[in-house]
Formats: sequence, structure tokens, C-alpha cells
Amino acid sequence: MPPTGDPLARRYRRLLLAYPPGYRRERGEEIVGLLLDCVPAGRARPTLREAADLVRAGLRCRLGRPVSRTVGVWAVLTALICGLFTGALAARAAWETSRPQPDRAEFAAAFAEAFPGHRLGEDVSTARALFVIYGQPLSRASLRSLLLGDGGEYQEGVAGGSATGPMPASEAQTLATAQQRLRDAGWQVYEPTSEVLQTCADPRCDPASQPVETVLVARRGDTVLRATFDDPRTYSSYLGVELQRAAPPAVLPAAVLAGLVGGALAWLVFAWVSRRTEGRRRAPLLLLGVTLFFWWAPVLLATSSLARHHLDEPHPSWHPLWEWLGQPTLSLFFLLGLASALMLLLTAVTPRRDPRPLTVRLG
Amino acid sequence: MYRSLIYVAGVTQMREPTFLILTALAGGSRHGYGIIQEVTALSAARVTLLPGTLYTALDRLSAQGLVEPDHEEVVDGRLRRYYRLTSTGLDALQSETARLRQLATAAETRLRALHPRTA
Repeated sequence: MPPTGDPLARRYRRLLLAYPPGYRRERGEEIVGLLLDCVPAGRARPTLREAADLVRAGLRCRLGRPVSRTVGVWAVLTALICGLFTGALAARAAWETSRPQPDRAEFAAAFAEAFPGHRLGEDVSTARALFVIYGQPLSRASLRSLLLGDGGEYQEGVAGGSATGPMPASEAQTLATAQQRLRDAGWQVYEPTSEVLQTCADPRCDPASQPVETVLVARRGDTVLRATFDDPRTYSSYLGVELQRAAPPAVLPAAVLAGLVGGALAWLVFAWVSRRTEGRRRAPLLLLGVTLFFWWAPVLLATSSLARHHLDEPHPSWHPLWEWLGQPTLSLFFLLGLASALMLLLTAVTPRRDPRPLTVRLG
Repeated sequence: MYRSLIYVAGVTQMREPTFLILTALAGGSRHGYGIIQEVTALSAARVTLLPGTLYTALDRLSAQGLVEPDHEEVVDGRLRRYYRLTSTGLDALQSETARLRQLATAAETRLRALHPRTA
């Protein structure tokens, strides 16, 4: 056996931790011997290429099924989606470091700062929590709605109100004044976007007569302002304003860290299940396929729709990670995938029937 | 280059490193380091196997029944396990060699026909 005190051998053994324990017991010393045979004299550390090769081969070895050319793809898809889910959970937890959503006084001050001379209506709504469902904080009673179909109602809370009375200046003038005043007050103002609203489905309608919605977005510190200019003939007010918090700085590192840990753990669990179910062909593969379908389908649907939405107007703060994963809007899909994953785990835990049972003849 | 391992009419089409490992073992049983050296020599240093990659390939070839462990020895305190071709491995290597020879012959024939025109 190679001397255990050799620092290079010790470092190689550390890299072999990527392999499953049983394999290390059986082949570890043989591989370390080969690695030491290959190195030129005087080298004290494994090269980066060697390390990457050993880790890659070890992680592949953990999956079992040495002949399979697709097991690695399934493992990557599983680790990735589990990493995204754990990242999203951590992101939600990190949102708790945010200040509460703006109150009425903060909203009124921002409105007056941006739109002097415009009268704010009495009906100013404020959020009772950072995230709300049907305007209420998430509670045990609303958990059922969240999980069983109404998850799309779970959104970031917002303080909102609208201007009332006649418009004191033209829309273009109001917009220019607001941009200037917001910039002067330290807001980062984004280029306004306009969209023609399709209120008439008849092809004979004149496009020039369709109402146009203009959106102005600005951010200062952890607060985002969104002002929407609408045609007062179509809507009750010509100007609606929303104020809400941007994602706090802790969200990104928390999501990345939790995503990496969750992905790594998912790889290990997948590898264990793959080795345990080797030789059992149909049920585990079917359950894995069902799980991945129910977990990935919402991601593909939500990502394409949210990406278009992000391109349509400026977003000083991106939508939360869970919304990109289609959650909790399509939480039913997640739950079905979870049930399938648990059944797969149960299949792995169940002892395999010996195809050649030992029989003893007496007499 | 051999991009995939697929069975076409009973003939195994294999990747180049797999072909080289089987060819290395056709000369007799070898340990890991011996296989790496032989593969490097056979490919004129074009293919250099790293230990992790070699053991991934050996595990796959063992599971396919093409290769099996032969014997072990300890040299300078290092464990060496020798591997050898199985009869199935020998058949697979012969089939692949015949396939490559047939392809090379066909290519040579075409090139000979082309040569007078390009010369």
C-alpha cells in the first residue's frame, strides 16, 4: 500500500471522496497507486486537470449503471431543478431581511415628490406583509389556496393609489416633470415604455383610436416606483402609482449558496437511488420521468412568459426566483412531482427481491 | 473518431479510447498504468487517458463483459490490479477492427481513383 504519510497520496485520497464509499474501499488504493505511478518525481500536488478528472469520474461512478449513457443527463436535470427549488426557498427566506412594504405616509410623500399639482385619491392601499395572497398575509387558512390552485395570487405586497380629479397638465408634460423631479431627488429613472392596448377585437377598429398605456419606472435604494399613465376615458383615473420594495441584497447570495448545496445533495440522493434501483427497469424510470416532467414543465412555461414580460418594460428588481420556476402558480405540478419523487425514494428503500433465492432441501 | 457505442447489425461501433484500451489488452493482461502507457503509444500520444477516465471506461467494459480483472500484485507498496480481455471482448475488438479495415479499404480505393486527376 502507498505510505499514508505521503502528502500527494493523501491529497489524491481526498479527491477520491467523490467516489462512493464502497468503490473507494474496493478500488481506492489501486487508483491512488496508479495516480502515483503517473506523476513525475517531485510533484507535491495533483494538477487541476487530474483533480477535475477524478471528481468528474467519481461523481459519475456514484450514479452506478456504468453502461448507461443517459443517467448523467437525468442526474444533471434532477440536481439542477432541486438546486433551483432550494435556491428559491432560500431567496424567500432572505426576503425577510427587507424593510416592510411602504406605508401610506411614504407613498404619499413619493407621489407628491414625483407628481406635484396632482391630487392623490383617498383610496390608497397598503400591504399588510412583504408578500400577500388575496391582499392578506399568508396564513394556515390560506395555505390550502396557495397549494391547491390559487398560487398565482401570492405576490409581493404593494402600496398603490391613483390621481383623482382633472389632469392639470398634458401626459407628456407630466411625464417629463416626473422624470426630472425624480432624478433631482436621487431616483434612478428608467426610460418610459408605451404599449397600445387592444381593447377592440374587431379588425375594422382603427389602431390609432386604441388607448395607449405608458409606464414609468424608477428606483431609489430599496424602493421601486411604477407609474402608469392611462386614458381616463377607459379607466377611472389617468395616473396610477405603485410603490414596493426591491429584493434585498441578501437574496442573491442566499439563493446561490442554497442552490449549490441543494443541487449537490440532490446529486447524492439521485446517485443513491440510481444504484439502489439498478436492474429494476420500468418503475423507477417511469417515476423519474413523471417527477421531472411535473417539476420542469412549469419552469419552461413561466420562464418564457416572464422573460417576455421583463423585455417589455424595465425591471429594477427582478421577479422572485420562485416565479421563474412557475411557483406557487403551478404548485399542483410541484406537489404531483413531489409525490412521484417520494414514491421513487420508497422504491429505492424497499429491499429488492432476489431473482435467484437460496433454496434448501431437507431430507 | 468513434462518437458512440451502438450496435449495428451485431457489430459494436466503439469510441476511439475504448478501441485503444481493448487493443492494449489484446497484447496480454495489463494494470492501469500499463494500459495508459500502451494507449499513448498506440495513438502516437494523441490520446492520453487520465486515471479517472480510465476507471470509468474499465467499469463500463467490465459491465459489458468485454474486460475482467486478472490478478493483483503489490509493487513498491502500490497495489496493481491487472485486467484482461474476455472472449466477448476479443470478438468485439475483432468486429470493430474488421469494420475499420473495410472503411479504410473503401476510402483508399476512392483516393487511388481520385489521385490521377488531382496529381
